[in-house]
Amino acid sequence: MSVEIKLSRYNRTYRPNEPLEGKIITKLPSSISHRGIHITVNGSVNLQVRGGSAGIIESIYGVLKPIRIVKKSFEVQPSGKISAGTTQIPFSVTFNDGGNGGKFYETFHGANVSIQYLLNVDVVRGYLHKSLSATVEFIVESELGNVLQFLYNQFYKCKELPFVTVFFFSTAIFPEKPISPEMVFFYITQDTQRHSLLPELKSGGFKISGRICTQCLLSDPLVGELTVEASALPVYSIDICLLRVESIMVGENIATETSIVQTTQIADGDVCHNLPLPIYVMLPRLLTCPTVFAGPFSVEFKVSILVTFHSELYNVQMKPDPRTFRKWVAMESLPLEVVQSK
Amino acid sequence: MEFKARDYRAEEEVYSLPRVSVSSHPLCSSSSSSLTQDHVSIEFFDPLRGLSTEVLEPVEETAVAEKHHVGQPTSHLSSKEWTSFNKLLMQRFPVPKMISVSAFITWIFFPLQLSSKTIKGKKAIGEIPANKQSDELYDSEKSTEKGLKIVSQQEYISRLHELKDEITRSWRSDDRVTSLKLSIKVARLLMDTCVGQFYPTLFVLATDIMDMLGDMVWARIREKAEFADDGTKICNLSDDFEANSICFEAKETCNNWFRKIASIPELLPRIYLELAIFPCWRFLRNDFMGHLTRMVMMIRGIADPLASAYCRFFLIHCAQKLPEHDAGHLVTCISDQKIILRQIVSMKEIKCGNFLGDHKLLISLMEPTIEYTMRCIFKDPNQVADMIVRLELGKSPLELHGNVPWISIILHYLLKELPTEVVCSNALEILHLVDCSSDFSFDQCLNYRMLGLKLWEGIDQLNTVDAVVDEVIQAATKRKILDEYLKILDAYIDIILHYNMDRSLSSILSEIFERLCNEVVTEDELASLQSIVVKLVTHFDDMKYVFDLNYFVDILDVMHGSSRSIVCMHILTNATRNDRIDDPTTVKLLFDVAQSLHDNVDFSYMSDNQQAERLVARFIDKVDHGMELDRHLTFLVECRGAFSSMNDLKEILVHSSNLLAIRALKEKTNNLNFIKSCITFNEVTIPCIPSYTRQFILYLETAEVSLFGGLISHSDGLLDSAVCCLQNVYLVDGLKKSNEDGDGIVSLTRKLCSFMLLVPGNLEQGAMYIPKSILSLLDSQSWITPKQRVRVLCSLLSLSATFAQNELPYHAVHEEVIGNDRLFLGDAMYSQELGSLSTVILNNMIDAIPQEPSQVMRGKLALESCNSIASFLKVDDELSSVCSKLIETAVSCLGGNDKYLKSTINFVNKQSPISAGEERDAGKLSRGFGTKECPEIVKEGLRPTL
Repeated sequence: MSVEIKLSRYNRTYRPNEPLEGKIITKLPSSISHRGIHITVNGSVNLQVRGGSAGIIESIYGVLKPIRIVKKSFEVQPSGKISAGTTQIPFSVTFNDGGNGGKFYETFHGANVSIQYLLNVDVVRGYLHKSLSATVEFIVESELGNVLQFLYNQFYKCKELPFVTVFFFSTAIFPEKPISPEMVFFYITQDTQRHSLLPELKSGGFKISGRICTQCLLSDPLVGELTVEASALPVYSIDICLLRVESIMVGENIATETSIVQTTQIADGDVCHNLPLPIYVMLPRLLTCPTVFAGPFSVEFKVSILVTFHSELYNVQMKPDPRTFRKWVAMESLPLEVVQSK
Repeated sequence: MEFKARDYRAEEEVYSLPRVSVSSHPLCSSSSSSLTQDHVSIEFFDPLRGLSTEVLEPVEETAVAEKHHVGQPTSHLSSKEWTSFNKLLMQRFPVPKMISVSAFITWIFFPLQLSSKTIKGKKAIGEIPANKQSDELYDSEKSTEKGLKIVSQQEYISRLHELKDEITRSWRSDDRVTSLKLSIKVARLLMDTCVGQFYPTLFVLATDIMDMLGDMVWARIREKAEFADDGTKICNLSDDFEANSICFEAKETCNNWFRKIASIPELLPRIYLELAIFPCWRFLRNDFMGHLTRMVMMIRGIADPLASAYCRFFLIHCAQKLPEHDAGHLVTCISDQKIILRQIVSMKEIKCGNFLGDHKLLISLMEPTIEYTMRCIFKDPNQVADMIVRLELGKSPLELHGNVPWISIILHYLLKELPTEVVCSNALEILHLVDCSSDFSFDQCLNYRMLGLKLWEGIDQLNTVDAVVDEVIQAATKRKILDEYLKILDAYIDIILHYNMDRSLSSILSEIFERLCNEVVTEDELASLQSIVVKLVTHFDDMKYVFDLNYFVDILDVMHGSSRSIVCMHILTNATRNDRIDDPTTVKLLFDVAQSLHDNVDFSYMSDNQQAERLVARFIDKVDHGMELDRHLTFLVECRGAFSSMNDLKEILVHSSNLLAIRALKEKTNNLNFIKSCITFNEVTIPCIPSYTRQFILYLETAEVSLFGGLISHSDGLLDSAVCCLQNVYLVDGLKKSNEDGDGIVSLTRKLCSFMLLVPGNLEQGAMYIPKSILSLLDSQSWITPKQRVRVLCSLLSLSATFAQNELPYHAVHEEVIGNDRLFLGDAMYSQELGSLSTVILNNMIDAIPQEPSQVMRGKLALESCNSIASFLKVDDELSSVCSKLIETAVSCLGGNDKYLKSTINFVNKQSPISAGEERDAGKLSRGFGTKECPEIVKEGLRPTL
């Protein structure tokens, strides 16, 4: 005796204005009667303070009250009977009917902040029986604005519009990439470091230059270029570190937690000088989301370039971490704005 | 007993076939066309050639399975090339039994521990670990332990095979995450270059796994693109599909793979994995070559020269799988490689990668990757011009830069792959390129050589020969070491000879000689020298020119050992190609050459020995002193002295001396003494030959020659020796004489019999001395089988019957040699002796037949004897009873239906007194044949022919 939900999309990803479709599949040994089949869409932001910059008092509170984004219930079938065997009950709901005006944040699983959307099905079976239920998570990607959506529809309907107009729409409103990739140049030398370095590094010097995008589409890789121009010590490794900064309002304070999302090595060993190395980092799904600044919380990203130098004295093999300052690691951190595609 | 009188002339006329003159030769080629047509129509299968369309797959002896690309549109040829190249790679670097590996990868020797949580983790809700996901693919703890561990090669390889099996197994059970994880582990192994010589093998095994994974991913996404979840077919992808015909789901899966791989933290495994699934970019977009460029650039991040070289190697291999590929990545690869090599070359003793100080080993390990890259660059003949420009080799194929130094190992493979016509039209520029590219990565001499060989390949397109050769000689002369000098010039000798550049040639030869005199010649140098000398020798038709070259003979004298033998063999081969060698100086020099060959060849090796011997024999055969026969005989005597170890050669000498005697005879001048000396030469030479059979043949031959020259006493002596040989045959020539050898000796004996007819009977020893000796020989030699005995006896019977004739069928040519027919004309003693001899022969024959063990053979022998009796002797009563006994034996052995039996009976009947009309004897004879088995046949056979 089981019930499950199968969503229409393979990747379970929906935009808020799109109908959420799927099937409820029941597998029963004998037919049962029920008092209605209901599905519930539940979206919430869960906040949790774990260490980071938050004080002891805040961490005692632990889990903060979740912020509800949406909670809606729909009746798929009124009370009736489901026959034995496998039965498929299709459903289609629109969870954003524009009523509440709330913002649909994108699905995101972070350390302190977690934005999750769940779809729940309940087959209510009276007092004596436990109701059958199943839950499935679906992923929400932020929608295009309602106005844009309207124009978008117009654009495809009005093929007879003059070319210029179409052109206007297509470039101004639906550019293939809404932001131009903004490259930031960076230099990493012994003088740009705010922490203490190995003496031979400080005196001998090094210069690593490059450029990197500071705005990045969620679906696209973070690209850039890096060149080791000079170095007194041999390079041990160069890594690109993607950091996530989650901040939560806890009372008067802001609790901030910075965590490493992903480390990508781009140089292994003492690479040739003056040869540009590509930076190519794919943003991991679910662990990243568009940069969010909401009232009670915010999710931001940073990218750090870490250059580990070879040293006989220290064990440099440990995994580089931009949050700790090592004498043999030089680094540069830049803010990264993550934007939803399309 | 009476001999039958014969009239040989009349018999010949009767028995010889009628002759008709024809207009064309029956064996001439008029009908050949129809013959060849026959050949074509017959379905003939040549097992050595096979069918050209069916190329047999080479059997893989190594563990690298033949790659079957699952529907991936790759050119089959390139994947084959890759496989064979890989095989070579594994053979080239012998793997030590024990391998030292970095401590951080020793995990592969422990059983895998995968928590089931992480495998299924991403599918179920709520279980997505907040922080761990990016580490999901990276769960193998990176040990911070330093140092090396020793593992056995066997263990390492078998672990890799296990990993491969595990990857396939988990893929089949839909656990693709595990497959990916394990593949990443395999790719991580390639980070460890401490394994040194094992690295190429490791690379082959690991990339085999990478390829397998790539194929599986490709197949999966393709299946997703072609079939919906429920198995219905969405579309049919052609090999040249476009990315926009791929459905969303397939694209998503493909994207996920790329994302998953992009999250591998370490650079090298990330590159290998992305390369493995690189062809899958085709599902996502049509224009993805930019990603290939990015991959090439990413490899720059691998600092270890060996790891990066092999990584490029893999990239090039993966790029070959793409339908159309621009060669840009190849050019970048080679230029990056160049930068790295330049760094290595400029370093002295600085550690680079794991190869502390041992740069030579490092470069030799990198060499195959450079070779493969260059091969790919110049694979397409249409792109050569483009490539030359992009490699910054020149402005166009006709205009190369000559003064930009290259890394010599890259230059080497560049030269190797560069089309001949480009090399030839830029010979001078390339020479300058070689000149200025000198570093320890590759021996510069070999680059000079490569250029020389290339130029020789396209010799007809070369315009600047003189300048090139001059410069090369200059460059070579600068070399202090003789070996280098020789190595360079060896490649150019052909060109110099082709253009008859005598001045250059003589300067080279004098330089070589000068250097040879000043230092001890090593084995390597000898090998190079040998190559040069052989080229010289084979170039000229007449050895006279070669010997006339300044210093040639001197250089030859300096050479020793096997190279000298090889050169000598070449000289002799070349010299004997002409019809005759008559120049006395050449003969003398060649004789010396042959002698040194003889002295050098180790006669314990049969093959060497035989070839050398054959060459010397050919040389002796080709030497011609014209009319100076004495001199030639002296030459033969010299040869006998010089080549004493060559046994077969002595035979040739005897033949030559016989030939010489015959020639002298034909001259008709009074030169009996010369002939005598020839015969004497043979008499001395023959006993040196170890085989008695051969001695016998030669004695017989010499006896013939001496009889031809009228030297009866010599021929008597030789025949005596021949008979002695026969007596010794069995004693010396091996105890286990096979039947064939025995048969050979029998036929030689029969030949002796026929020759005896020419020899006048010796009055001192008795006319029948030799036949009698043969007869006694038959009794004394135990190895002679009854069959052989009967056959010799038949010949002897034939001989004695012929001697009894009034006129012999043939006579000796020499007028002084009188045949036995005239010598013993009317001599009663002689006839009596013949009679008694034939009685003895007959008795021996009858005794011998029943001893034959084989029944069939016994019957045949009985018939043979019967036939010879009937043809040589007058069949009287006594003999006809003998005959009937023999026929009885034959009938009992062969049965009545045998054709030979029937014709023999027929023949005997004709010869017997019955045919003469004495009918009363018929009953008597038929009674004799009255056998129970087949009375009818016997009766029929004996019925008087009317």
